[in-house]
Amino acid sequence: MTTTRMTSYDRSMLRLMNDPRGRSLYATPARRRLAVAAHAALTAAIVGLFAHFFLSRAEAIWSAVVVAVLLLPWMVAQGVINSATRGLLELRAPALDERQLAERDRVLARAHRITTCLLLLAVVGLFVVGDADGDALRTYAVSALVGTLVAHFVMPSWVAGLSAQDEPSEDEAATL
Amino acid sequence: MSEQVHNRLAVVRAERKVSRQSLAEAVGAHYQTIGYIERGQYNPSLDLALKIAKFFGLPVEALFSLEPFRPLTDEVYGRKQP
Repeated sequence: MTTTRMTSYDRSMLRLMNDPRGRSLYATPARRRLAVAAHAALTAAIVGLFAHFFLSRAEAIWSAVVVAVLLLPWMVAQGVINSATRGLLELRAPALDERQLAERDRVLARAHRITTCLLLLAVVGLFVVGDADGDALRTYAVSALVGTLVAHFVMPSWVAGLSAQDEPSEDEAATL
Repeated sequence: MSEQVHNRLAVVRAERKVSRQSLAEAVGAHYQTIGYIERGQYNPSLDLALKIAKFFGLPVEALFSLEPFRPLTDEVYGRKQP
């Protein structure tokens, strides 16, 4: 954390990401897993609805409305993950210290490996589907592409949320 | 590379009555990083270790060591190790 290189934006984001309010939402590993699971479920629902929106344009209105409604809890879940990781992925490098920068590199590398596997699965899946039915390939290609793009975008958050550890208690020092 | 660096940061910090937050602010680190160092879950860089040692006005080897530290009371009262 190089405070001299931090802008006012960095400082305000640092305060926001370290705001202790709502700490109970991510205080334990189980709660952090729940937040990541909720975020993943909401992301899957939004992508699924987008696919439905794309594939059946006649019923587009209701799915667009549901997506708009789902975005609100999605943002709340994203905020919980960001707070649990103390802005590991949101803050700029000057606002992170050496451990956080190393942790961010680890998280991004792990997320990259996972999304590479997902991309491979999507490509293989599309080849298999396309081999069986040429029209199906055209139908599902965009959905698969959007799904993997979204997974690529949110995977670092999920990995960081699952990797976050419990807050060390202040009185640990007294017991050592 | 997961060599364990032992430290007595928690003991010294408690003895000096310094909070993690104020130590972190003084050395330009996140307060969680101080906690991770104390728990042995993170080995600080030489730069950070020197900054922490300077904050307490101690030589770096008083806080960090490749060998486990003897209890402070043993060092102060000179009890021999078995």
